[in-house]
Amino acid sequence: MLNSVTKVLLEQRKYWNLMFRMAIFDIKGMYQTHYLGSLWQVINPIIQIAIYWFVFGLGIRGGNPVDGVPFFVWLLVGLIPWLFISPSIVQGSNSVHQQVSLVSKMQFPVSILPTIKIISNSFQFIVMLSLLLIVCIIYNINFTIYIVQLPYYIFCLYIFLFSFNLLSSTIATLIRDYQMFLQSMMRMLLYLSPVLWDTSSLPEAFQNLLKLNPFYYIIVGFRSSILGGHWIYESPIETLYFWTLTFALLYFGSKIHLKFRKNFMDYL
Amino acid sequence: MKVKVEVKNVYKSFELHAQQSEKIFDLFSIKKKNRKEFLAVKDVSFKVYEGETIGIVGLNGSGKSTLSNLLSQVIQPTQGEIELKGVPSLIAISAGLNNNLTGLENIKLKCMMHGLSKRKIEEVTPSIIEFADIGDYIEQPVKNYSSGMKSRLGFAISVHTDPDILIIDEALSVGDSTFARKCLDKMEEFKQRGKTIFFVSHSAGQMRTFCDKVIWMHYGELKEFGSAEEVTTKYEEFTAWFNKLSIGQKKEHKKKMLAGQMRFNHYLEQVKSEKKHRSPVELIKSVLVLLPLVISTVLVLLGI
Repeated sequence: MLNSVTKVLLEQRKYWNLMFRMAIFDIKGMYQTHYLGSLWQVINPIIQIAIYWFVFGLGIRGGNPVDGVPFFVWLLVGLIPWLFISPSIVQGSNSVHQQVSLVSKMQFPVSILPTIKIISNSFQFIVMLSLLLIVCIIYNINFTIYIVQLPYYIFCLYIFLFSFNLLSSTIATLIRDYQMFLQSMMRMLLYLSPVLWDTSSLPEAFQNLLKLNPFYYIIVGFRSSILGGHWIYESPIETLYFWTLTFALLYFGSKIHLKFRKNFMDYL
Repeated sequence: MKVKVEVKNVYKSFELHAQQSEKIFDLFSIKKKNRKEFLAVKDVSFKVYEGETIGIVGLNGSGKSTLSNLLSQVIQPTQGEIELKGVPSLIAISAGLNNNLTGLENIKLKCMMHGLSKRKIEEVTPSIIEFADIGDYIEQPVKNYSSGMKSRLGFAISVHTDPDILIIDEALSVGDSTFARKCLDKMEEFKQRGKTIFFVSHSAGQMRTFCDKVIWMHYGELKEFGSAEEVTTKYEEFTAWFNKLSIGQKKEHKKKMLAGQMRFNHYLEQVKSEKKHRSPVELIKSVLVLLPLVISTVLVLLGI
């Protein structure tokens, strides 16, 4: 039953080195012509963080903390994963369409193209996570035992991005409208995730609806790991939902990827 | 002698869509009726042995490029089979370089993508730079290159990745005569080493001196396959005859031949659709994956 999933996963393992080296070239190519170079990888998110903090923190919330946590820290913990998720998904979904004409002339495992985009965005993510650590120290946030959950949620984040991109990159190659749709969806999802605002004031039914967004699980997870408060086993249904969704994406993603990958060129 | 490439009754059809929406119906294999398709390659079969150099000639639009794409596995045949013993590599004019990176970085990246090890890349880089011969520009971003420089670099990289089967699709028509000479010498070297080369060109002279056999593609069909001298002469006779025709006659001839490549109602599709039948096992698997998802979705919505 898992033939296609195993095949795709084995390819990722086999070409692990190649993916890393290509991700480095990816970043190089992106910033080579810029005077500030890869510094933009940090400047860009900082500008975004500043504007969201100004509008949502100072403007709408009037500088009030969320559950005793300063809003700035509360925002950062949610926004930093989001600033990794959003470009990884948009670029990852486009990656196959963008590069398949290049790689089809050689024996190249197409399934690693979306993963390369996740890796190249990870460098920025790691830098931002270390900045987050500095901010937490400045704000005197004491890490609690809950921090041990963080590796689990980071793992969730990566496996979800991989599964989603595998399916998404195939669809985006076959149907070009999908990429447009996805870009608008991602812009919308930022507001439907508990990144910028606290959703706990919503009626219960709406909150449950928002929980269907898989990033809800990840972002809430990041917050409860870094700021403390919840254990994974306290939300078993959400965990079950997240993993069944991820598995379904992985399963259908591998299947249609393998089915269409030989014919990608015909759909360009 | 060992058979290196075997092509068995290969067809390649391209569907002609009157509307964009038809494409999406095809994707989900519904409403397939009266769709026009164009047979770019029609029932082509041949065998090529180790160390042979095969030329491919034909008019524009006769299916040469489709055939070379099929041989290099860039596209898959609609019907029929292609058996390759070895790794093919297509060298086309569109070299596929990253414009933002420098020439040197492009060499590294392309070699990497071809699966060369780090050591091997360091080994071949000097000889690629030597072969491309573009001087100090190697340190510049590729976007500053002239089109000739781009194809030189692209060609230099491709021949150094050491493929078993080379497919050269009119790549030599760019670049000056000294570079073309250099490329031909390089190919001669490949020939000596027993590699199989497919060579698409319009030059009858190159065909005669360089190829052992020649394939003549004519409106999707393999018209002639035989010794270089014989086929090239026949092809030249044909082009001479064709050029003598008046413009009206040429159009008439073309129209007639192109009509022969059009098909309705998917006569190739019949073979395909038999394979397409969804087995019930697959369906059960899909349900098994989706069912837990549906259940957990409901549970989340109920807020249990």
